[in-house]
Amino acid sequence: MSITSNPSRTSRGKLSSTVPAEQLAEIRELFEERRKGFSLDAPFYTDPTIFGMDMQGIFQKNWLFAASVAELPEPGDYVTVEYGPTSLLIMRKDDGGVNVLHNVCRHRGARVLTAPSGSTGNLVCGYHSWTYSPEGDLIHASAPGETEFDKSCFGLKKAHSRVYAGLIFVCVADEPPTDFDEVAKIFVPYLEPHDLGRTKVAYQQNIVEEGNWKLVMENNRECYHCDGHPELACSLFPTWGLTEGIVPSHLEEVWDRNKQAENSLEERCRRYGLPYEVVEELDTRIAGIRISREPLDGEGESFSPDGHRLSKKLLGNLRDFRLGRCSMHLQPNSWFHFLGDHVITFGVFPINEHQTLVRTTWLVADDAVEGEDYDLDKLTHTWKQTNIQDKAFVELCQQGAGSPAYEPGPYMKSEYQVEAFINWYVQRMQEHMA
Amino acid sequence: MTITTTSIEVPEPQRVRDFVMPWNHTLSANGPAANAARALGPWHPQEFMAECVETIPEAGGLKTFVFRRLDGAPLAFRAGQYLNIAFPIHGEDQDPVDRSYSISSAPTSPWTFSITVKRDNGGLVSPWIHDHVEPGTVLDMLGPVGAFHLPDVERRPRYLLLAAGAGITPIMSMLRTIHALPGRADVVVLYHGAAPGEFGFAKELEYIANVDDRIQVFYSLGDRSVPENWEWMLGRLTAQMLEQVAPDANGRQVYACGPEGYLNHAADLLRKVGVDDTSVHMEFFSGDRKTLLEYQEEISLAEDLAEEYAEEAAEQTNHFAETQPAELQLFQPAATDIDTEAEVEAEAVADADTDAPVDDSDFTSVGEGTLTLSFIKSRIKLRIDPTERILGPAQRAGVRIGANCQEGMCGSCKIVKISGEVEMNHQGGIRAREIASGKFLPCCSTAQSDMVIDA
Repeated sequence: MSITSNPSRTSRGKLSSTVPAEQLAEIRELFEERRKGFSLDAPFYTDPTIFGMDMQGIFQKNWLFAASVAELPEPGDYVTVEYGPTSLLIMRKDDGGVNVLHNVCRHRGARVLTAPSGSTGNLVCGYHSWTYSPEGDLIHASAPGETEFDKSCFGLKKAHSRVYAGLIFVCVADEPPTDFDEVAKIFVPYLEPHDLGRTKVAYQQNIVEEGNWKLVMENNRECYHCDGHPELACSLFPTWGLTEGIVPSHLEEVWDRNKQAENSLEERCRRYGLPYEVVEELDTRIAGIRISREPLDGEGESFSPDGHRLSKKLLGNLRDFRLGRCSMHLQPNSWFHFLGDHVITFGVFPINEHQTLVRTTWLVADDAVEGEDYDLDKLTHTWKQTNIQDKAFVELCQQGAGSPAYEPGPYMKSEYQVEAFINWYVQRMQEHMA
Repeated sequence: MTITTTSIEVPEPQRVRDFVMPWNHTLSANGPAANAARALGPWHPQEFMAECVETIPEAGGLKTFVFRRLDGAPLAFRAGQYLNIAFPIHGEDQDPVDRSYSISSAPTSPWTFSITVKRDNGGLVSPWIHDHVEPGTVLDMLGPVGAFHLPDVERRPRYLLLAAGAGITPIMSMLRTIHALPGRADVVVLYHGAAPGEFGFAKELEYIANVDDRIQVFYSLGDRSVPENWEWMLGRLTAQMLEQVAPDANGRQVYACGPEGYLNHAADLLRKVGVDDTSVHMEFFSGDRKTLLEYQEEISLAEDLAEEYAEEAAEQTNHFAETQPAELQLFQPAATDIDTEAEVEAEAVADADTDAPVDDSDFTSVGEGTLTLSFIKSRIKLRIDPTERILGPAQRAGVRIGANCQEGMCGSCKIVKISGEVEMNHQGGIRAREIASGKFLPCCSTAQSDMVIDA
């Protein structure tokens, strides 16, 4: 895929050094002096300049999760997503594919579409009705008396996109990192059996957390705090994140139950040809990933108090409800749970240095009927509660990072994924600044 | 000499993804269905007479009786349903004895149908049937009845079919139906019998399991003593046995038929192996008093329905007497039924189109032309020629319509027509969905008839 359209003029009109040299040197030093295994220094969570650099070094360079195909089921359906200052239009094409366009009118820069989602034929800017085709070509701009106006020079800017197993990823860099396609080869076999193409959105929740996007991600990457999630604790074994040697004696019984559940899940996965092994390359490559299929406690079917299914319709061509959770973590902005009866996607969309939009979407089989096959409140209960609790944790940390007494603290053994995320972040940013 | 052997590879068939009963398209079609298809629509019970045309002795004290309707119509039903039949056991002058029997044939071959009856020597009816019903016997029947049947459309046709003894009858109908139809399916049958020679349909089951790779059949001998050459499973139904034949029972729809004790036991076990209660469908074959009462209730309801339909049909027959070919009148009873939502809706729309009068007598009249466009919000009646694009004259007449490109691209002039026809040459400013819901772009449309417009 290549970006066609207009000659790149990205260098023109940009201030060459958005960050004064002195401040840049200071920030470089902060990155270089980052103590491994410890949380970041306060400015990484509080400083608007570093936030701006994060947007350039992470969100304008890497592949990002945007939405799932279920959010734009029909041709003409679109969603808009925003990563810091970047606003993108993701639109379902008539041929079933997906177009990603910058949501910036080429006339005077207005947002072309302002709704978070909707359905449209051509794209009409609300300001002066400049009208673009779904491909982004400017097809109408009323121009009485203009003789030298060449519409072909003013198409909407395009961004790269990939749809893998029903998940839509975008990259606004001119040259996107190439290892994402390799990573897709890892995760597609895990996700494809759940057939997102035949799901629908049962519910979508947008939460603005008063916290830096990295704190949101860090919080997601450990379950050390899972005592604070009583609803989720019914489904996750309390031994999650522990390894053989470090199981405390009061959890030995749970550990055994977990082991047993793991064994029977593996047996089922082998029977149905579903991959379940842990693949973990969180900071050893650009498209950092962790994926695995793990058992859930209780009946092992879904995120309900007793583990029983929350939707009666199996996804895709799955044969069994007891498939635990296939969970995927991707750097830098997403995580997912794929279950037999539903899928939950989590996307992280930074707003500024202290605010982050977390979008959670519950997907069920598209022939599942609300009230008959699933109860919406029950379907969404566990993760709605968990999200509220997580929001509170993230906000506590954000407040802490802003306090004069804050200093980086150590990540525990069970928080190795947090360290991996931060390590990934530091590597990417140093490459960016190099 | 070299001997070469060639193994015959059976190629995998290409199948449609969902499993759909052949009448489903008729049921969900918007337009009026063809008469023959309607006659096949298995949507309500009828009273009819049928003639026995063949009897087939089966293993296990079972006997199959094949019938055809006297009126020549096919019998419409769903696999798993039963018929309520009047047997003149005490002679033609006395009241007949009513009994319900599951249909064992498949609705995919509807021109004849069969019931399969187990001889119960202590009983009143079944011995009489075995001894007296023969080719030529005509019986009064009511049906089809019963909610124990395969769905009309199933995206995940993964079934576990459990049968004990004569409970195989409706299961056999299901199995024959699935075997007869294309579409992906994954079917496991577990059939409990009392003795090796007492599995009804054993040869056909063996055949189906051999030629249809979607279907697996397992047998188990109840709790009787076992002969040496028995190669199948032994003993009553257990959770272990379920796990063995269908380790993915959890994700299947279960249909079970047999004696009450067997089914109660099966219900417990299914719960134990994680099958959701809502995925279990049961038919009590030899019921206790309670189930018998339920049967009776359903049959009396069916009788009422059948009567109602017959009356309607009679009216219709009179009504259409002159236009319908004589033979088709026989099928009419089944053709009175489907007021699908879509049809009702279509009619309502049609009504609105032709009948809904808009009182435009006090609207301001403007323009000249052969057609009249009534704009109900603006209270303007615009006369226009069929060659003129609507937008310009409408705007000049004072109808408030936003517009920008005027070429059918930007969609800013989109409005709704309440009635009438337009011809539109748009360029992407409107979606098919919107057109279907009555919207159009006046900038690139001409009127083809008088119109009422919501603007």
